[in-house]
Amino acid sequence: MRILKGNPVSRGIALAKVYVYKAFKADVHESYFEAGQEAAKFKQFTDALAAAEAELDTIVASLSVESPEKAKIFTAHIEILNDEEVAEEVKDMIMSSRAMPDYAVDMVFTEFAILLEKAKDQLIAARAADLRDVRNRVLRILKGEKEQNLANLREKVVVVAHDLLPSDTATLDRSHVMGIVTEVGGATSHTAIIARSYKIPAILGVPDATEIMQNGDMVVLDAIKGQVLLEPERATISEFEIKLEEFLKSEKQTAEYLDRIPLVASGERFSVGLNIGSTEPDDGFRYVDFIGLFRTEFLYMESEHMPTEDEQFAAYKKVLANAMGNPVTLRTLDIGGDKSLRYLVLPKEDNPFLGNRALRLCLDMPDMFRTQLRAALRASVFGPMQIMFPMVGTIDDIRAGNAVVDEVKAELLAEGIPFDEKINIGIMIEIPSIAMIADLAAKETDFASVGTNDLTQYLHAVDRMNPKLTNYYQSSSPAMFRILGKIFKEYNEAGKPVSVCGELAGEPLAAIVLFGLGLRKFSMNASNVAHVKRTLSLFTLAETEEIAEKVMNMDTQADVEAFLKAEVAKREQKQAMAAKK
Amino acid sequence: MYCKQTVLKNLTGLHARPASEFVACAKSFESKVTVRRLDVDDAPEANAKSIIKILAQGLSVNTPIEISADGPDEQAAVEKLVELVDSKFGED
Repeated sequence: MRILKGNPVSRGIALAKVYVYKAFKADVHESYFEAGQEAAKFKQFTDALAAAEAELDTIVASLSVESPEKAKIFTAHIEILNDEEVAEEVKDMIMSSRAMPDYAVDMVFTEFAILLEKAKDQLIAARAADLRDVRNRVLRILKGEKEQNLANLREKVVVVAHDLLPSDTATLDRSHVMGIVTEVGGATSHTAIIARSYKIPAILGVPDATEIMQNGDMVVLDAIKGQVLLEPERATISEFEIKLEEFLKSEKQTAEYLDRIPLVASGERFSVGLNIGSTEPDDGFRYVDFIGLFRTEFLYMESEHMPTEDEQFAAYKKVLANAMGNPVTLRTLDIGGDKSLRYLVLPKEDNPFLGNRALRLCLDMPDMFRTQLRAALRASVFGPMQIMFPMVGTIDDIRAGNAVVDEVKAELLAEGIPFDEKINIGIMIEIPSIAMIADLAAKETDFASVGTNDLTQYLHAVDRMNPKLTNYYQSSSPAMFRILGKIFKEYNEAGKPVSVCGELAGEPLAAIVLFGLGLRKFSMNASNVAHVKRTLSLFTLAETEEIAEKVMNMDTQADVEAFLKAEVAKREQKQAMAAKK
Repeated sequence: MYCKQTVLKNLTGLHARPASEFVACAKSFESKVTVRRLDVDDAPEANAKSIIKILAQGLSVNTPIEISADGPDEQAAVEKLVELVDSKFGED
């Protein structure tokens, strides 16, 4: 069995065979034909247009009854096909310049797509995608290739693709597509939105998925955890068949909790936050109290150059504007030797997770760090924001980070640039050495947020990227809960806010223990919000405290998980019984 | 050559459905038909039979435009298109 990881953008579980969907890839070169063939070449073009229109007519006819909205997409494609200006220019290239039809089509359609992209109106600019979609259709017909689409599938499949275009998803055969895996795309991509609206489990951003997976491979899609289990063992399949059934049942009940105020059964309030990693608005902002983790890596990863202060400032300002007044915790750059940027080659390290990464790298590259801090501080007047350093191991680290912040603040002050002078500066707690002295760290910081993924990795000495070690990576171990309990206690006693922004906060079973240990701020991915609200609503404060005490003294993680599952099941049954009466 | 000026009064402007209707109407005439916005100096003349050229103009509500036609049915074409614009494409 092989495990691939990605971003679960549409929750669910799927078990089916892989169907690798490779959309037609236009491979066009500049080429010309001999004089005398003008009429024949032009006819090839007009024939291709007619064939494309016939295909589109069929699609429109098949959609117009069931989903007229989607049919409109293709009606618009027919309009593009009949665009007089486009046809004239293609004709001109063929007749006067003797350009091969495919080359002429590619040139003209692309030129017009670029023209549309320049439009100020976003809706018009977005139509460039339709133009490219039509171009590909015409090019494919010119090449004599058949239409491959997801409209008529013979069996239930998990679709694996590089990316899906509007024309792919619009005709999607929903009765046979059990899941979607793509190599690119985030939570707000077209594919993600469609997958959620169709309730099809989807994991996006799985690198090389179309290379690794083959047609007909059996696959389990765990779009709760964000894992694709390739060629699973029989036991794994049965395990997930049960999970799927449970999932469907509980999904119905859970949905009702999304917009509820988060309360435990005895009435105590807790806060639910969101983890984000882009500037896109998220539907989940409406259901949460804060943005507990704003990862800034995307700015660096997606750029061709070191992002400038103004580029970063614009991005941070946009996030604050989208956050609907929710306070945003901006985490400074968290990369290291496991990732290189196109414009910045970091030396390969033998142990990148123990290496020169995150805050260490920022302190090592002060110009880069200062640019980010300047941008963040400048943005801080546009909404509630706080700044957090990742990978802090000692009080020295905290002081060194704070010193740079103070320098940058003094600079801005001297330049007369406004910023939030009372901005909170805090740390991620993910290295055991800082967790052990949380009482001292609390004195030097305004807040802390626990990154449970890295804390597990460092506490258990397990490389979390190594699929062979998944059994050793125990984020719900008694050891983890003991150290977490200490962190919460010290920060609560110091009167400084503490949150968890690692995956543990979004795992309903673990959340029970975290609450019992004193945590009141849970930051997670949007898809877990309703689940955590629902599970915690089943327990009273006293019960969670009792449970926390018990699990810290259990022998193994397996014992902890079995115990927590039973506690939840007991209460859900009770609730179901009460509902019947 | 025949031309007439008017102002877009429908909220959508010449986007989406109104743009489609406008282009379809222009295509029903034999004459060459163009649209030019009047609020920008040196605005290019857009072929009214090209949905892409029309969209790329970004003609929104309250934009003053000039519709011109050249050909056997030029007057009918311009009058019909101005009438369509002034009808607000059935909006509101």
